Formats: sequence, structure tokens, C-alpha cells
Amino acid sequence: MGLKKAHDTPSASENERRLPRDLPGLLDALADPDPMARRWAARDLAPYPEASHALVERLSIETEPSVTEVILTSLTLIGDEVAVAGLTECLRSEDAMLRNSAIEAMKQLPDEVAPWMGRLLEDPDPDVRIFAVDVLESLRHPKVEDWLIRVITQDAHINVCATAVDLLGEVGSERAKPALFALKQRFAEEPYIQFAADLALKRIDTD
Amino acid sequence: MKRILVIDDAATVRLYHRGILESAGFEVSEAVNGLEALERLAEGPFDLYLVDINMPKLDGYGFLRELRAKDIPQGPAIMVSTEAEDNDQRRAYASGANIYLIKPVKPARLLAHVLTLLGESHS
Repeated sequence: MGLKKAHDTPSASENERRLPRDLPGLLDALADPDPMARRWAARDLAPYPEASHALVERLSIETEPSVTEVILTSLTLIGDEVAVAGLTECLRSEDAMLRNSAIEAMKQLPDEVAPWMGRLLEDPDPDVRIFAVDVLESLRHPKVEDWLIRVITQDAHINVCATAVDLLGEVGSERAKPALFALKQRFAEEPYIQFAADLALKRIDTD
Repeated sequence: MKRILVIDDAATVRLYHRGILESAGFEVSEAVNGLEALERLAEGPFDLYLVDINMPKLDGYGFLRELRAKDIPQGPAIMVSTEAEDNDQRRAYASGANIYLIKPVKPARLLAHVLTLLGESHS
């Protein structure tokens, strides 16, 4: 068998250059069997808000971590309602990498994520509520303390409250103290809640 | 003195577990995720690992799989998680956990498991 010439087997980057880089071409490339082509397409779709749906759909079936990362970056850059909805759905994923990456992406979109936070913190799945509190960890938004106070006041699940009280120790102010005292009473038999709430109260008094 | 590595991304949880374990006379080291825990192994293997599941960079399952693949003395591992699903427990044991506990863990329960796994008597 003769040697194949290099141009018989073009690399993914050569293919990528040949594909049309307009919206329809990029959407086609997002489904390309070659992960490299999908990664480039996902990256180049960032300036197209109308690509949100396609990126979210791809996210739900993508198996290549490097492509997933780029899709999340593009969704963060687009940051519209569809993109944020797609990111919030990732909080339900069993894939820890996807979930953690989505949490990090959501932290970059405080104003866009804010309208979703009420719903996420009332989600029937306590794991989703815990991950929503994780999003609050470095979400630079003026309502973070209000959300956390609401969680420790209203949420019945101890681990959701435990996650929120950890964070209140870092971002809480005098305003959080009555809720922290009430939490201690509500979970009077739970040593961890007593420990974490006392720590949060101590930190608030120190600040 | 027996050495225990506490691996959890939540600082308050690490502090809570540290307090329980140190009060029982153990030497405690901490790591904030699985990757940092693997780096801590350069200090030598630990007698026991207390491992959270959900952590950034490398989760508890990943850490235990990497730990169990290493040719070093293998200490027992207690996996702690907010997840109460059977599937999570199966994954934990498949990854190399010896015990699976649901958070929040009460001090007496944690110590009882630690002492049993380390072959020490309950005081």
C-alpha cells in the first residue's frame, strides 16, 4: 500500500478553516464527529446569542470534557436567558465536572443568575438547593445575604441550611444574627449546626 | 500518634471534623479537594482519610480511585456526603471507601467509626 499524501487526511484545524464560519456553518460544526471541530465551533459561536439553544442542547449530550468547557465559556459570554437556563439545568447533572463548571460559570453572571436564584433555592431537590447555595459563594450580588438568611430561616433540609450557614459566616452581617440564633433553636440536637452557627456568629461579631 | 487527612472544600466542615478528631488525640491534616489531597500524600501515607464527595477539581470518588491505585500503605477511608442515594453509596464503595456516612456527622458516630477502622478501642 502506498503512502498517503498529507493532504489526503486533512487535520481538524484544516477542516475547521474550510468550514463556513457563519452561524449555519458553525451550528453544523457543533455536531461534527471530531471533538476539535466541535470545540472550535463552540468557541466561535460565542458572539451569536441565537446559538444559545444549540449550545445548551449540545451541552446535554457532549461527552468530550474540553468541548464542554468551551460550550460553558460561550454560554457565559452570551449570558442570555436561554444560556442561564441551560447552566442552571447542569446543577441537576450527575457529572461532577459539568456541575462544578456550571457553578463556576454562573458565578460570573450575577445579574443574569439573580432572577433564577429564588426558584433554584426552592427547587424540590435538596441537592440542587445546595448547589445553588454554592453558586452564591462568590456571586457578587447585593442580595446574597438576603438569600442565605431566607435559606436558613425557611429550608427544612439540614444540609441545605448547613451549606448556607457556612457561607453566612463569610458574608453575613449583624442582620443575619437573629436567623442564626433561630437556626440553632430549630436544629438544637444537631452538633454541626450548633458549631457552624456559633462560628458564623463569632465571625460576624469580630468583623 | 495516628494521622488523619480531612478532605473537604468547606472550611467550616474541615474545622468541625478537625475539632472532633483532635479532641480524640489524632493528628489532623487538611486538603480542600482531591487534587490537593493527592499532593499531601508526598508527606507520607495517612492512617485514615475522611473524604467529602462533592469537591471542585477532583471529587472524593476520583481521589479514592487514585489513592487505591498507588503502591503505598493503604489507610481506610470514610466517605462523607449529603447524598443519601444508594447509587452514591455504591459508587463510594466501588471507589475504595470503607464506610459511607451522611452529613452532618455526629461526633460520637464519627469517632466510633474512626476508632473501629483504626483498630482502636472505644474510650
